Amino acid sequence: MLLLFVLLFGIVGWRLVDLQVVDAEELADRGVRQRSRTIELPGRRGRVYDREGDVLVTSVDSATIYADPRAYRSGETPDGTAKPPAAHAAEVADVLAPLVGRDVADLRAALERDAHFVYVARQLDWELGQRIMDLELPGIGLLTEPKRVYPAGPLAGQILGFTGIDGAGLHGLELQHDDILHGTPGQLVMEGAPGGLSIASGARELRPPVPGTDLVLTIDREIQSAAEAAALRAIEEFDAVGASVVVLEVGTGDVLAMASEPGYDPNDVSGSVQANWRNRAVTDVFEPGSVQKALTAAAAIEEGVVSPTTPMVVDDRIQVGSKTFKDSHDHPVEHITFAEVMETSSNVGTIQVAQALGKERLDRYLRDFGYGSRLGTGFPGESHGLLMPVESWWNTSLPTIAIGQGVAVTLLQTAHAYATIANDGVATQPRILRGTVGEDGRLTPADPSPTERIISSGTSRQVREMLARVVSGERGTGKTAQVPGYAVAGKTGTARKPSADARGYSGEYVASFVGFAPVEDPKLVVAVMVDEPYPIWGGVVAAPVFQEVLEFALKHRKVPPTEPNASLADALTEAALQEALADAQLEGPATAADEPASPPVGAAAGGDGAPVAEP
Amino acid sequence: MSAVPAPSRRPVARPVERRRAHLRVVAEPRPRHTLRYALLYLVLAGATVFGAVSLNALAAGDAVAAHQLEQRVVTAERDYAMLVAEVARLEDPARIRAAALELGMVPAGSVRFLVVDRTLPADGVTPDLVATGNEATDPLKPVLSVEK
Repeated sequence: MLLLFVLLFGIVGWRLVDLQVVDAEELADRGVRQRSRTIELPGRRGRVYDREGDVLVTSVDSATIYADPRAYRSGETPDGTAKPPAAHAAEVADVLAPLVGRDVADLRAALERDAHFVYVARQLDWELGQRIMDLELPGIGLLTEPKRVYPAGPLAGQILGFTGIDGAGLHGLELQHDDILHGTPGQLVMEGAPGGLSIASGARELRPPVPGTDLVLTIDREIQSAAEAAALRAIEEFDAVGASVVVLEVGTGDVLAMASEPGYDPNDVSGSVQANWRNRAVTDVFEPGSVQKALTAAAAIEEGVVSPTTPMVVDDRIQVGSKTFKDSHDHPVEHITFAEVMETSSNVGTIQVAQALGKERLDRYLRDFGYGSRLGTGFPGESHGLLMPVESWWNTSLPTIAIGQGVAVTLLQTAHAYATIANDGVATQPRILRGTVGEDGRLTPADPSPTERIISSGTSRQVREMLARVVSGERGTGKTAQVPGYAVAGKTGTARKPSADARGYSGEYVASFVGFAPVEDPKLVVAVMVDEPYPIWGGVVAAPVFQEVLEFALKHRKVPPTEPNASLADALTEAALQEALADAQLEGPATAADEPASPPVGAAAGGDGAPVAEP
Repeated sequence: MSAVPAPSRRPVARPVERRRAHLRVVAEPRPRHTLRYALLYLVLAGATVFGAVSLNALAAGDAVAAHQLEQRVVTAERDYAMLVAEVARLEDPARIRAAALELGMVPAGSVRFLVVDRTLPADGVTPDLVATGNEATDPLKPVLSVEK
């Protein structure tokens, strides 16, 4: 009997030593693992606002539906009892597939895989996820995942870019500023009961997540929308393959709008055309054509080669080397001033001035205006344009480049150059980021854009006045750019497109218009480029787009008009007349002018620099 | 007469008497209350256990309440984020324009800027009466309201 007791106590004692000493550490770890739960706390990705604080990009919770395929297989419980399947994969697939938009057979195959976890659908709308969970399908679970949403759909899609399904920036500003937008995930380690409740007296260790920094852009949502709508209408109206619009604020370099059509919806990247992801205003280059003449003029005036009143004798063609350069239309020899050369967009007159200026000085000024180098916006894929080193110029390069062929620029570079002229000759680096908003909710303004004087204030003023004549002058090529109430300056451009697969030029054209307003104290610069339109002329195709965008932007930015205001009584009378006229039109039959496809006023009378001879 | 040795007068040990010499008055020994102590111990132990269990139950109840509150916070944050996105979607200029056209509205004509040639009621209003400019006025745009 005693021996039995001793034996039993010995067994108990040995077990005690085994548990408390030999395996103590491992068992303690297992205990901690059983009750300890680690919860990943996602770091919220920063939002993107426009300059007025309107949300352009944000993140919301989405529902990711997963399945545990073991629920659809026979199995065994730990004690060896046979366990029937909780449901048939086919039945679950039949119910789920239409809800998540998957093929039934494909989903059934996924549910029958030999795995413990398969995704059924990721990042569904939260409400849909809840509806699926309400079905209480066996083996189906829900995970909460943050999802990037772009509430305005295609608005500024090429600027904003998009993220991958894991939230990493892949394109546009989402990529450029991914390092500050993405948050740092946190972690909560706690002791929990099997039901998920935390043990009140248990250990709890929290490493809070750090939310990403919010971005505040210089973009104005309203102007961006107007620019996109105008660009889209130009494509439809002139059967063009694309159109881009840039709006810059003079002085600050703020990019108020940068639209490229056709666009895409970042909410549906997989259903979009990849070519439309590009922010073509900064990634694509084109030969600027006659809009370039303003820079040639600025360089010549700054160097004292010419002034707006300098008399010139201008024929309708000029021979340089083996090439003949012509004006847009035949005309007899004219005795006109340099300002009239600009007003009529004369190729010959501009080439004469460029020859007097010389290629070295023209090259230097063009580079000072931003040609041939990136503007420093840091936007992914920003092009530096194409301006050959002056040592490599051919004998026809000078006249060719002087009128905007043989050189390639982005639309943003063109807008920047005109903004320099509008800003009294001081170049301000364009910027698209106005500031950031950190955890404290306060706006931290971005550093002001660096500035550099390129031409004198006097030269700038003279060029502005010359460009104003292009819009308001009798022979101006940009009359369709006029905005009622404002003095507008600008320049049309019509340039041939280089051949994509051969040397020389294709038969296609790029129509452009770049300008600013008000002339005396410019506030806004608008640059428009329409790719392969019909008709081809910048004054017909691009200038109306410019006018539409500029008019909206001036009023939206509350820029006061420059021309004499009407008195209150006159305005009321005029308004009453217009109202009566509008009522009569609404009641009357539709006319051809009501058709949206009707050509703009002045379309037939437009004209611009004609195609030039190949260099 | 022979001398008879006198009997030894060796003192007989008298331990009692000797002890008595050290006797002292002592108090009557107290009766032992073992049972009382045991009961007291049990009561205290019981109270301690009861208190601990009660506190733990209260803590567990609070944990449930805290869990529910955390869930409400998560839900509220989710709803807020969705509402922010929804507001931005509804404010989309293209959507508003399309909705307005659908309702039969037409784009406004050119905005008129007038020369005001008579005194208007608001002419006497000074800027400080309109807004101080220091407070956040737009709850939907708290980030920029102060600056705006």
